[in-house]
Amino acid sequence: MTSPFQSLRLRSVNRPALLGLTGAGLFLASLDGYVVVTALLPMLKSVNIAVNRPEQATPIITGFLLGYLAVMPIAGGLSDRFGRVRLFAACLALFALGSLLTATAPSLFQLVAGRVLQGAGGGALVPAVLALAADLYPAGERSPVLGAVSALQEVGSVLGPLWGGLITASTLGWTWIFWINIPVAALLMWALWPEIRAGGEARRPANVDWLGALLATAGLAFLTLALYAADPERSPVGEGFLWQAPLAALCFILFVLHERRTPRPLIDIRRFRDSSFSGAALANAIAGAGLMVSLVYIPVLANAVFSMNASSSALLLFRLMLGIPIGALLGGWLAQRLRSYRFVAALGLGLAALGFLLLSGWNEGSLRPHLLGLPVTVAAAELFLTGLGLGLEIAPVSAALLDAVGEGERGAGASFLIVMRLIGMLVGFSLVAGFGLWQFHRATAHLLPPLPGLLPDFATRFAIYTLKVRQAIFDEYHLIFQSTAITLMIGAVIAAVTLRPLPRPRWH
Amino acid sequence: MPSHGRSLACAVGVIGAALTACGSAPPAAQPLLQQTSDRMAHLKGFHFRMVITGYTGTGEPVQTAEGEAHPPDLHARVNLRESSFLVEVEVIFSGTDVYLKSLTGGWQRLTQAQVSQFFDARTLFDKQAGLFPAMRETQSPRVGTQESVDGHDTYPVSGSIPAPRMHQLLALIRDQGSYRATYWIESPANTLWRAQLTGNLFDPARAATVTFDFSNHDQPISVSAPPLG
Repeated sequence: MTSPFQSLRLRSVNRPALLGLTGAGLFLASLDGYVVVTALLPMLKSVNIAVNRPEQATPIITGFLLGYLAVMPIAGGLSDRFGRVRLFAACLALFALGSLLTATAPSLFQLVAGRVLQGAGGGALVPAVLALAADLYPAGERSPVLGAVSALQEVGSVLGPLWGGLITASTLGWTWIFWINIPVAALLMWALWPEIRAGGEARRPANVDWLGALLATAGLAFLTLALYAADPERSPVGEGFLWQAPLAALCFILFVLHERRTPRPLIDIRRFRDSSFSGAALANAIAGAGLMVSLVYIPVLANAVFSMNASSSALLLFRLMLGIPIGALLGGWLAQRLRSYRFVAALGLGLAALGFLLLSGWNEGSLRPHLLGLPVTVAAAELFLTGLGLGLEIAPVSAALLDAVGEGERGAGASFLIVMRLIGMLVGFSLVAGFGLWQFHRATAHLLPPLPGLLPDFATRFAIYTLKVRQAIFDEYHLIFQSTAITLMIGAVIAAVTLRPLPRPRWH
Repeated sequence: MPSHGRSLACAVGVIGAALTACGSAPPAAQPLLQQTSDRMAHLKGFHFRMVITGYTGTGEPVQTAEGEAHPPDLHARVNLRESSFLVEVEVIFSGTDVYLKSLTGGWQRLTQAQVSQFFDARTLFDKQAGLFPAMRETQSPRVGTQESVDGHDTYPVSGSIPAPRMHQLLALIRDQGSYRATYWIESPANTLWRAQLTGNLFDPARAATVTFDFSNHDQPISVSAPPLG
């Protein structure tokens, strides 16, 4: 048997095959981005964590995002230095190692460590594959290829929760979400081995702002720790908030000072003076926070109060996820047609806010009523609307930011968009998780469960108690969804005020 | 001390330690168990973690228990299996009173009838019926080769405990035959770091294991009644 590539020179290799193989790796990693949201409860159980300690699941999600964010800024520079394919292979191996640690975790610590490594490996694949695509195809033919690579990542993200839910609900169990990555990664490495060994790519001098990356990662790590409510009964933020938050702020200040002075910064800080750039960055982060809230809380709500299993929860979430790519396509078309980024972005964020506001009215019977006699439930329509809104804003917000950075910095701008979205996800989810659980504990602080024993009416009392707990869970979710709706509305206002109109088309 | 003097002292120390380790014979099993039982029973406090693995059936909901104890007083977080989930509760045994903090709300005092329906963790370290006196009653104990437990050099001592004695320790254990018990003891400090009870504990045909890990030996523990409500 032979591998597909025998050539030493990238330009002479089978380009579709090389891109297909690396794209498959990227798809695998993007599937795992949000795959855990429908498998959280069984994952917690397998490391002996009780269902009434959901705060312990937070690092499983934030750990992945943090790992992803830590490598994103340096991955481009590393691929310049070591070669795209070699960096891709190293990161795929790291991703597989993270998968192994996650699948075999006997403790929460190993589970989180595995997810951090998965995030670090998976996060670096995005810039590596995008840069490889740019190397393989000349400027005039590059655009559809880059679009396909980005689409692959988005589709993977959308399908991830469904994939995770189906595997978790099957007889295989949740660990197979991660086990399956190992042979697939090994197969991809085998197929790419001649290219990896030859290393025939053109190397460029390293352009890695290590100090900037370190300061940014340290700031985000301290912020994540500060916002992690390990004991939400006592506090909505972390126990070390009072020293971790200032440390995070210090790291960010040092980051800004460093970026202003260094000749090759991760991000040109002066860009933030452009309101269209900073507005797009902020709106993008807010949309990321909204997406993360829906990704995590809809499956958990489905499981906790609608008693759905992992696959049914995933299918419920899929109604929202389906709206995102449709909204993304529609948003691009509408922005072009109406020649307005601000209107379409504000419309998208406003619709998402409306969707969350509708979700915040859910109660026990919300999944049943059908929409105007159609074979679609009102709940499904509300979820789709939320996803549609979150999709609509993607193209205008991204385009506004990329227009603001100009031709020469499009690559860095695209990475910055992903980074801002992930930061929004990380910070938004951390805040919501802590405050939501804190609110639940406040609401149930005096709700004592009836104990079996000498009570003759124990069954009745227990039924009433269960109803009250479910109501408290609903109240927690109402608060989470209302807060998210308000935040998205703020994002809509920011987009409406700051984004510039489309530039006139120019042909070079 | 000059540097060559320090080196010599270090070398002598290392050689001495090696000779001691190689030359020291393992302690006799029965006295080791008795002395360790005595020491553990008279500690001012300790941290414990109990994990039950294997087949536990439906009658045994406890999966793990972890906390601080100065028997009979004890404060622990207990993971209970509830249908397909785990639920964490917190228990305090203070004097003759028992308190529970369950899924929601604050602490409530339990009646004796209620305690018997739950998990009476007091029996684990009871001065008559608990694990430490059971060490003395372990039959045919044998000392194995040294093993490291959480970084401590210990001697594993294995033997068997009759079922009625085990039944006193964990009421849900079946009341027939005998069960294997292993204790990992640091000698000559007589410190118990781990204890393991194995056998068909909760079902005639299926095995289960109860593992206790101990730490913070002799750190004073004071467990007081929590505020109710």
